[in-house]
Amino acid sequence: MENAIKDLPLDLTGLGPHGAVVAGALLATLLSAVRTKMNRWWVLWVGLATTAGGLVLSANGMFAPAKEMFNRMIVLDPYASFFNALFLAVAGLTMLSSVKYLDREELNFPEYTVLLLFSVIGMMFMVSAQDLIVFFVSLEIMSLSVYVLVGFRRADRKSNEAAMKYFILGGVASAVLLYGAALLYGATGSVQFKDIQNYALSHSGTAGAPTMDMIFVLGGWLVLAGFLFKVAAAPFHMWMPDVYEGAPSPITGFMTTGLKAASFAAFLRFIMGLGPAFEGKLHDLIWICAAITMVLGNVIALTQNNLKRLLAYSSISHTGYLLIGLLACAVPAQREAALSASMIYLVSYSVMNLGAFVLLGVISSKGDTGLMIHDVAGLSRRHPWLAFFLAVFLFSMAGIPPTAGFVSKYLVFYSAIQAGEISLVILAVLCSAMSVYYYLKVLVSMYMQEPVGTASKPAFGAGAMIVLVALVLLTLKWGVAPSPLVDLAKHAVVGL
Amino acid sequence: MGFDKALSALVFFPLAWGILGLFLPEKKHAWIKGWALLGAMAALVGSIYLYLQYDGGSAAEYQFTEAWTWIPAMGVRYLVGLDGISLWLVLLTTFFTPVVVLGSFNAVEKRFKEYYFLLLALETGMLGAFVSLDIFLFYLFWEAMLIPMYFLIGIWGGKERVYAATKFFLYTMVGSLLMLVAIFYLAVQHKTQFGEVSTALSDLVRVKLDGQGWWSTQSVLFLAFALAFSIKVPLFPFHTWLPDAHVQAPTAGSVILASILLKMGGYGLLRFAFPLFPQAVHQYQGIFLALGATAIVYGACVAMIQPDIKKLVAYSSVSHMGYVIVGLFSLNSLAVHGSVYQMLNHGISTGGLFLLVGMIYERRHTREITEYGGITKAVPLFAIAFLIITLSSVALPGTNGFIGEFLILLGTWQTAPWIAAISGLGVILGAVYMLWMFQRVMYGPIKHEENKNLKDLGFREVVVLLPLLFLVFFMGIKPGFFFQKMTPSIDRLMARVATSEPAAQTKEISQNGKRDQRPAS
Repeated sequence: MENAIKDLPLDLTGLGPHGAVVAGALLATLLSAVRTKMNRWWVLWVGLATTAGGLVLSANGMFAPAKEMFNRMIVLDPYASFFNALFLAVAGLTMLSSVKYLDREELNFPEYTVLLLFSVIGMMFMVSAQDLIVFFVSLEIMSLSVYVLVGFRRADRKSNEAAMKYFILGGVASAVLLYGAALLYGATGSVQFKDIQNYALSHSGTAGAPTMDMIFVLGGWLVLAGFLFKVAAAPFHMWMPDVYEGAPSPITGFMTTGLKAASFAAFLRFIMGLGPAFEGKLHDLIWICAAITMVLGNVIALTQNNLKRLLAYSSISHTGYLLIGLLACAVPAQREAALSASMIYLVSYSVMNLGAFVLLGVISSKGDTGLMIHDVAGLSRRHPWLAFFLAVFLFSMAGIPPTAGFVSKYLVFYSAIQAGEISLVILAVLCSAMSVYYYLKVLVSMYMQEPVGTASKPAFGAGAMIVLVALVLLTLKWGVAPSPLVDLAKHAVVGL
Repeated sequence: MGFDKALSALVFFPLAWGILGLFLPEKKHAWIKGWALLGAMAALVGSIYLYLQYDGGSAAEYQFTEAWTWIPAMGVRYLVGLDGISLWLVLLTTFFTPVVVLGSFNAVEKRFKEYYFLLLALETGMLGAFVSLDIFLFYLFWEAMLIPMYFLIGIWGGKERVYAATKFFLYTMVGSLLMLVAIFYLAVQHKTQFGEVSTALSDLVRVKLDGQGWWSTQSVLFLAFALAFSIKVPLFPFHTWLPDAHVQAPTAGSVILASILLKMGGYGLLRFAFPLFPQAVHQYQGIFLALGATAIVYGACVAMIQPDIKKLVAYSSVSHMGYVIVGLFSLNSLAVHGSVYQMLNHGISTGGLFLLVGMIYERRHTREITEYGGITKAVPLFAIAFLIITLSSVALPGTNGFIGEFLILLGTWQTAPWIAAISGLGVILGAVYMLWMFQRVMYGPIKHEENKNLKDLGFREVVVLLPLLFLVFFMGIKPGFFFQKMTPSIDRLMARVATSEPAAQTKEISQNGKRDQRPAS
């Protein structure tokens, strides 16, 4: 006990971004309690300043050496800083883009910003976690804030249903994960990732090595199930379309980007240390998951007529592609290339999805209605720029050059081929060919059909427009000149 | 060599010009049209400058090369260059863009700015694909090209335009995605064998791949490439997207599709699939010859019974492009010369036919053959132009079509006499369906009242057609002019395919110049 106290780090440098966001979140909470008409704006400014400040600090952290803290419970390395920057950027852009949306939905409560900040805190600790307990606590911080945000439209039945569904299913998944963690602890005597990975390595059942304890295997399955639930991989994807549909559009954008990136980042950190222990059953299991996820996501998306649901299923299929990247990460020789490919995929995926959902928030009618495919008919005539933006995002999701989506798909599939996953990559490209059909369906409606009925008036806001323009430019920029991003991701994975 | 970034300037100029054009006022239709025509003409002038600068006797494999680092982490460089084959396809592209821009002045009635912007963007895509020497770059242009074409068909097309556009997009996507996997595999092999990532064509041809047997690496990779290119050509049985796309596309779309996009398939085979997988090419030679011959006969037979002129021309494309495939897979210099020539010819003659069909459609709003008959009297100028292009399409001696088909048949006879014999049938069938159609449309009594007062070609239309008519005869009478700059490149390529050991000795061979089989000019 004394030792532990002595080991407590007095040197907290490197925790700058986390500190800034915690401080910002608390300040925002205080401000939101002040009953003035302006408090919403105060909170928003605090939120934006916090994310911007945190972003700068995380960018600095990218170039600092890796550092373990709190008895190796968390690690601050360029990998974590890379993702922190992504989460903060996503949160900041979500806040900026939702101002007008929240006005229209009459939801302009300061809590919106506060909850986003808290959720980001959870994500930031999650990618740094090296320990199942820290991991679990930060996962819950992240999820609880998002449960509330999903149900933010209190008067709306769909939003309530989504929040309830998400809360109950998410709760069960958390419980399963926690139970798995307990079993792992029981088998290995430690909750640290490293110890668990070492146990797996030394018990991999190869010649002479002892076989794994059944408790360990069971614990591993349960933790894996928890992870797969969070990233919405089949067969744990059922919650996702309903939740995505019910949540306010900007929040859906935040979930599909921030939440998914955070879960994947933590998942990758956990998995990549497994090395040779990954071969065999675990590999096959994720292989099957990836295959089902891609096929299922794409096939069901073909039949969707609601844009939010369509993008939800497309998001499931993207999870499938990301799982391929994850499989490639498990091959030690390819780890750095595959990991950086997955990171680039997550970044460009975030850019295009956030953009698409912000845009849906702009063009929808009150209560997020009017998002059927036929509602965007003739959008190119009414709002050529919005139609063009959505077209760019959709082409990027379909992986057609010259967009970020193409480059990141190229990188992930390339690294997977390097890792020998040829059949999975063939399946993946066939699935992306299939996906082109439903993305085109939206384009057909926007560009090749005449508008029907009276169109809703878009919730144009300066914030949303700035965000959309920035995201479109990034999508195109990383499509033709991805080098800076690729180099950054490469830098972030060195030494992991 | 002049200005060292000339090629990139040519490739990206139309796109940049098109983007600037988007800022023109929407109401000023004449400005928008003029702007697009000016840009397309400028690109044509630029490409003629490149042609004049191109040194036909140079030992260098590619000219006007540019190499910039682009994405080092992926081994991707921006590599472009021209050789004697791509030079002509680039000229074909820059030649047809002003033609279709001018040809669309009356046909397009809505969304002018977007229309001309897409045409110019499409030109950049096509030029880029023809000059890329890095396979990633090529793939990028190859796919990006689909987007403008998709919108051109989907927005300005006929009744079933959405169906046709989607079908076109999906067909091409499926093929090219499998090619992408093959590209990954090649790049990975390059890394294993040489220790660094690269997607440059000149690096990838050095990769040694097992080429023995049907399931060998080369064979499988070749199939992936060949599928992508065969869909584009389109080779029987992957041709079913073509009639839909052609019939539904606006005139400019059909012309570009027939004249240039289809060439992308033949060009891709020649530029990428042949040098990368020489052993597999020999292995699949028979199959592709048979498919090519089938396409020739099948396309011709189906064309014969079409009631719709545009559909007839579309199927004649299938038949004509079958010649290209037969010629390429004959793997002798003569036939390959013929194939490249046939690609240019087909561009001119089929492009011309689509333009003419578009013109008559603008007047009568129907393409049914039975709706016409005897219109020679009403539109004599139109009939003359139509006759010349028709004769070029049936390969009458003295026109361009004859040179291409003759060389292909001659070359193929040396490799596979039976295939040549079957393909020869296509010439006869071609004459049958084209002349029969011509007769039903042009001759006889005027059956429909409306046709009596058809307006003959106007000045603009004559300007559009004249360069085509000139080329029909010029290419038919003076083929040497074209072969002169083409031959060294084709010989180099044939030498590479002939040696089953990829690349190792090809350099020496190409420098010694193996030119015994050059066709007479």
